[in-house]
Amino acid sequence: MGTTLVGSSPLFLQSGLVPRGSRIIVFESIFEVFLLLGTLVGVVVIGYMLYNAYKYRSGAAKEGKEVEDRPVLGELPTGSGGGRKLATSFFMSMIIVVSLISWTYLTLLYVEEGPSADDSLDIEAEGYQFGWRFTYPNGHTTDGVLRIPAEQPVRLQVTSADVFHNFGIPELRVKTDAIPGQETETWFVANETGTYTAQCYELCGAGHSYMSAEVIVMPPDEYEEWYESTGNGSSERVSTENGSSESVSTENESAAVEARAA
Amino acid sequence: MSDTNPERTGGGSERTDGGTEVGSEVVSGGHTDDHDHDHGHDFPGTGSIKRWFVTTNHKDVGILYIVTSLFFLVLGGVLAWLMRIQLWAPRAPTETILAPVAYNQAVSAHGLLMVFWFLSPFAFGFANYVVPLQLGAKDLAFPRLNALSYWLYLFSGILFGVSFFQGGTFSGGWTMYAPLNVPTFTPDVGASTAVLALVLFVASVTVSSVNFLTTMHRMRAEGLTLRNMPLFSWTILLTVWMMLFAFAALLAALMVLSADRLLGTTYFAMESPAGALLWTHLFWFFGHPEVYIVFFPALGVMAEVFQTFTGRRIVGRKWFIIAMVLVAIQSFVVWMHHMFLTSINLQVKTLFMITTIGISLPFDLMVFALIYTMLKGKIRFTTPFLFVFGALLLFIIGGITGVFLGAVVLDYEFRGTYWVVAHFHYVMVGGVTALVGGLYYWFPKITGRMYDEFLGKVHFAAYFVGFNLLYFPLFVAWETPRRVFDYAPELAPWHQLATIGGFVLGLSFLIMFYNLFKSAFTGDPVSDNPWEYATTAEWAVSSPPPLENFEGTPTYRDGHLSFILDRESDATGGATAADGSGGATADGGVATSPHTAVTTEYEPTVEATEVEGPSHASIWPFVLSLGAFLILLGISPLQDTAFPEGMMGAAYATTAVAGFGVTLGSLIAMGLEPFHGPVFDEGEAWPFSGIDNGKVGMWIFLASDVVLFGGFLGAYIFTRFAFGWTGWQPVPDDPIPGLVNTYILLTSSFTVVLALVAAEKKHKLGLVTSLGATFVLGIGFLVNKALEWQHLFHEGLWLSTNVRTSTFFLTTGLHAAHVIAGLIVALYLTARAWRGAYLEDSRSVEYFGLYWHFVDIVWLFLFPLFYIL
Repeated sequence: MGTTLVGSSPLFLQSGLVPRGSRIIVFESIFEVFLLLGTLVGVVVIGYMLYNAYKYRSGAAKEGKEVEDRPVLGELPTGSGGGRKLATSFFMSMIIVVSLISWTYLTLLYVEEGPSADDSLDIEAEGYQFGWRFTYPNGHTTDGVLRIPAEQPVRLQVTSADVFHNFGIPELRVKTDAIPGQETETWFVANETGTYTAQCYELCGAGHSYMSAEVIVMPPDEYEEWYESTGNGSSERVSTENGSSESVSTENESAAVEARAA
Repeated sequence: MSDTNPERTGGGSERTDGGTEVGSEVVSGGHTDDHDHDHGHDFPGTGSIKRWFVTTNHKDVGILYIVTSLFFLVLGGVLAWLMRIQLWAPRAPTETILAPVAYNQAVSAHGLLMVFWFLSPFAFGFANYVVPLQLGAKDLAFPRLNALSYWLYLFSGILFGVSFFQGGTFSGGWTMYAPLNVPTFTPDVGASTAVLALVLFVASVTVSSVNFLTTMHRMRAEGLTLRNMPLFSWTILLTVWMMLFAFAALLAALMVLSADRLLGTTYFAMESPAGALLWTHLFWFFGHPEVYIVFFPALGVMAEVFQTFTGRRIVGRKWFIIAMVLVAIQSFVVWMHHMFLTSINLQVKTLFMITTIGISLPFDLMVFALIYTMLKGKIRFTTPFLFVFGALLLFIIGGITGVFLGAVVLDYEFRGTYWVVAHFHYVMVGGVTALVGGLYYWFPKITGRMYDEFLGKVHFAAYFVGFNLLYFPLFVAWETPRRVFDYAPELAPWHQLATIGGFVLGLSFLIMFYNLFKSAFTGDPVSDNPWEYATTAEWAVSSPPPLENFEGTPTYRDGHLSFILDRESDATGGATAADGSGGATADGGVATSPHTAVTTEYEPTVEATEVEGPSHASIWPFVLSLGAFLILLGISPLQDTAFPEGMMGAAYATTAVAGFGVTLGSLIAMGLEPFHGPVFDEGEAWPFSGIDNGKVGMWIFLASDVVLFGGFLGAYIFTRFAFGWTGWQPVPDDPIPGLVNTYILLTSSFTVVLALVAAEKKHKLGLVTSLGATFVLGIGFLVNKALEWQHLFHEGLWLSTNVRTSTFFLTTGLHAAHVIAGLIVALYLTARAWRGAYLEDSRSVEYFGLYWHFVDIVWLFLFPLFYIL
């Protein structure tokens, strides 16, 4: 299934039916459709359920008097009729669910493919108890702050120095697990300059609530200027308002501090 | 009409059957004066404290489960309140009410308690009480094992409680992700104790699974084929099958984790090549079936209660069952949808997306089936129906929001947020809602008295409002990261609503506790069947049912339930159906005359003909569980196989040794205790007809053991692949000791066969010699292994050396533990054979043989994997 869809993707994708663009556009447009349909289905099904519960309440005029054959104690269980209705509803729900998911699958293929290596910026992110470190292509490292240019796709290689973390920038709709000994990849584009917050989304210890990093999206020319000023081995550390000031410390954190000092 | 029948004629005289307008063709089985005393020479009544420590009766055990699980509900609920208080406002580090670690402990303990110690045991309280009645069995197949399940469960809960006082309980979330779950990051002793408490809990579940599966497959009344089984029993059957395999996988994960914490193995350590991923695989392989394990019983309650209170049979019953079977099977192939953001590739993601959507569809069918069952019904909005109706509504919302998570692109963003929290609370607590309905539904059966209907409805109103006030705002505030108490300030109003809802929901239970407690003593007495249109057999016996459930033998051979009385069948040589009204009256008139005729004719000749009536009391399950509790408590402070220094360490070590003594002693006492399980002559036993209960139980246990070893071997292979298959050398450089052990074990399998042959030929000396030879060979195996291990130890290779040695010592060590357990049994069998046992009845030798062969077969896998490849 996958290959044929990929094969025909230009046609599909160009038709505009399949959301593409930044992670924000992709998420928002799919989420919107799901919310709309989900609400609709929920209202219809629950409404139908409540209506029938009222209609066939005991003592009501329509309580189903035509049915004489009520269950009796000790009978071997059988089912009531109504199989056709059941089958129809089942197939309808199946069509809705399967088509919805298949539609999002096309977007998944687009998201998984990611931006090309040529026009994207590759940054390594490493989680530790309790903060984030970033390494740029020129070897420059930052701690607690990620500076990126607007409008350029950023590809992140994410890992962890100690326990299982999860790196996410909620406003930019990007998220991936940070697993010790493993590397995961994700990408995003920030179209608007400004300051965003990256957070940890996997319980990682006492400082989990405050494990965040600043994400500064700069105008491309300003970014270039800043990037020129960095070099191999240079590093900077920004203390976020809460982060890294945790009283709880572990061997790994002190190891991380040593690494930073080096 | 009224749903309740306040009439209850006094003990001893006959009473009308159910007092419903429809009446029934059923003759009530239970008409003894006082069911507590009919076998009561050494069995105390329900008023006695002693009764509750020794009882093995399934109904007593069911009550114990229900009461205990409600206690854990309160405990888990209080922890939830603490969290909700913390979440009232975003908390900067100086503003927290609970310290960060305390909050993490509350989060973790809340999840663990609710999922393990409340939800499943609550459902299994009903299963214990109702399933044997629905099947037509007098008790579960192994009553003492049933009591053992309960006591292991209780003591595991107590052990979990103790963990709070050992420096703090586990704080790494209920999913216990690695490597946060190892002592490097969670060093408290309490964290180890919490893991050990889970191990004990899994032991309880495994014993229970074996018992239920044997009972449900072997002890159904004649005519009650699987296809004809009531839906509640169906859900329990499928739940137990899932439990058998899923919990065995969890046991593997927990044993490895315990080894990492106590013995210093390095499976999940930060440096392990794939420790973190290994844990997610092992945990979720269990974790996803677990979702259905906790939800299926609720589904069964929904189906039963819908049928009763709508007065309509379930629409598409057959498809309902097929859908559930599909879900039960598929539940083992969806686990990686919890891991979409780990490093798994697109192909795997696609596969698991498809299986996930596949497993959601059968639920659509079940929901529609329940909704359509209402059509043309006579719906009575009693408290049980309100709760299951509400549960269905909540489940629909939970289901729809679950489809969002099935879309991988959306899941990428929902991962780790309150969307997930809100979704699974709608599903899981939606299930709780149905189970609460079940509690009201069966309360009159269990206590013989009706609850207060008005208070029940008030409870539902408060519960339902509280529920939605608590969980719906969490969808709106879904951007909040999970297990975080410092969130975006603009979300605070939603969290405050949720906190208020949490208190409404929690406090609503006070109404229930008051209602049920008061009604249990002063409620209106009820007849056999207070609910019109109930069909299942538990309503055909008195409320509460007599100790052995039925006076006659229940049968469905005429297409409906009837009871065969023992004395008549003895006298006429053929069974006489007790329903004098004849099989044709499918929805018969009020069956009064055959009713009275039968009951007056009946005399309790059972006592005279059966020399040994079934037993109902044993203290040993309690003592055995206490022993297991002491062992685990004693070993909890171990780190790197060493006890802490000083008095504390000595006290713990003493506790462990004492626990070992208690356990071993109670095992032997239990083996020697004369105990007679329920006698079951004939009935439906597909697919195990003609096989003894004990043998079926052993096979089922071994099936779970296969999964346990599968988990260990899977962990080994997974780790080795991550490490690099070829770069990984076997730990022992000399395979010869392993080869010798292979031959020793194969020979011992042969001697076990000889032992069985000797027993069947009533050849005492041959039996003793063969068993003795098996024992000696087993000892030889262990000695050889000990020498090999000592050699490796002197080379500097031990459990904690590296992940290679960890897998070697732990996996072969698990096998050695199986050998040791087998040798203890072999020694016991030899001693008893020496005194002349097993010549008349060789089954114990046969079952031991099954186990022993299994242990040998496992070695045939271990040897090449750990010595050659």
